[in-house]
Formats: sequence, structure tokens, C-alpha cells
Amino acid sequence: MQPSAFDEVAFFRALHQSGSRALLIGRRALVFLGLPVLTADYDFWLASDDIVVFNAVGKQFDLHPNRTPDEARKYGRYVLENDEHIDVLVARSVPTLDGHVLDFDELWTRRRSVPLVDVDVHLPSLDDLILTKQVASRPKDLEDLRLLRILKEQAP
Amino acid sequence: MIPDGVVQAIDRRITAAELRRELERPISADQREEVLALIRWFTHRYPSAESRLAYVRQAYARWRPPPI
Repeated sequence: MQPSAFDEVAFFRALHQSGSRALLIGRRALVFLGLPVLTADYDFWLASDDIVVFNAVGKQFDLHPNRTPDEARKYGRYVLENDEHIDVLVARSVPTLDGHVLDFDELWTRRRSVPLVDVDVHLPSLDDLILTKQVASRPKDLEDLRLLRILKEQAP
Repeated sequence: MIPDGVVQAIDRRITAAELRRELERPISADQREEVLALIRWFTHRYPSAESRLAYVRQAYARWRPPPI
């Protein structure tokens, strides 16, 4: 089966141009950092004030939200999808399994930017990315944690 | 079709104790070298973020089961 015609670079370019405060998290963030992991979807942590702007970017790519912005703020997350699937976290803060609270604004302040062709994609810092893997974790997140710990050991 | 039991095992939520064990588990030299070798291969073969993203899309399309 061939991947869909979704143009990832065009999507990230439109996202960059929109000015949305969106952090790429999840396995695609690991791919940006050079870790060869497979994933089907995209995961973003988005500033809750930027839902409308983010959805406008999605609309350019025929991606439709499953919740209104108010519903998304109420539940803390929503999905943009067509044959692509984008999980969007919009909670202002989330707890890790051991009770550490991750605050979006703090992660945004510490973000790192990774170049993609002619734009920057925003990722959490490596330490923060490791913490995002400790929120409502599944077994594959434990594998990712091990990869990220090794990557961190190599960081200057 | 993936059996329900496998899906449940993949999607289950881990406990705080499992997480703590993982974070405290030492990483062996063999594990470290295996991961670093993968990273070296991946970043050498696909040096840009663009090429890495494209690789993952193609690899996932090869891996996932065909639609019913």
C-alpha cells in the first residue's frame, strides 16, 4: 500500500506560517531527532488559544476536527483527521504517572526548533520530551523512553 | 486482523511502578551500542528531517495491514 498524498512538508510549512504554538510530540518527534521508530499518526501539544488557527491549517489539508474548540478545551484533547490522524493535546497542563505536572507554557519556553527544509518545527526539549512519554504511558512508550535516555546520554 | 488480546496488550496503560522500574533500569553497553548503531545508520542514510519523515511514511505503509 502506498502512503496517502498528504504533503508533510507543506503541512509543517503552513503550520509554521500560521504562528501556532504547537509542539510536535510523540514518535514523530523521535524521528526528527534521528530515532528510527514507526508511527501512524501525529501528536501535537497545542496552546489552547491556538485551536482555531491550528484547525485552519488542517482545513487546507482536508483535516477535520472531531470536536469544537470549546469541547476540545473542556476535554483537553481532540483529533484532526481524514486518512491522516493528528492527536492534539490542548490541556494547559498534564500530570505524569508519578505526579510530575507538565505545563505547556513552560515546555514552550524551553522548546527546541529543528529545521525541516525551509521552516522550523518546534519540539519539546529532550528532557521535556522524556517527561511527555510518562503521561498515560503504554508499553511502546517505555521502549521510547529507553531510546531517549540513550540519546540524552550522547547530548552535549 | 490483529487479535483483541494483542491489541489490549499493546494499548494497555502502564502503571507508575512499571514506569519507575524502567527509568531506574540500567542500560547495558550492548543495548546502548545497538541503539547508537541504529541512530548512526538512520541519520547517515536519511540525513535530513524531510528524508526521515518520508522513510517512516513509506516504512509504515509497507508494514500496516491492507484495508478490509
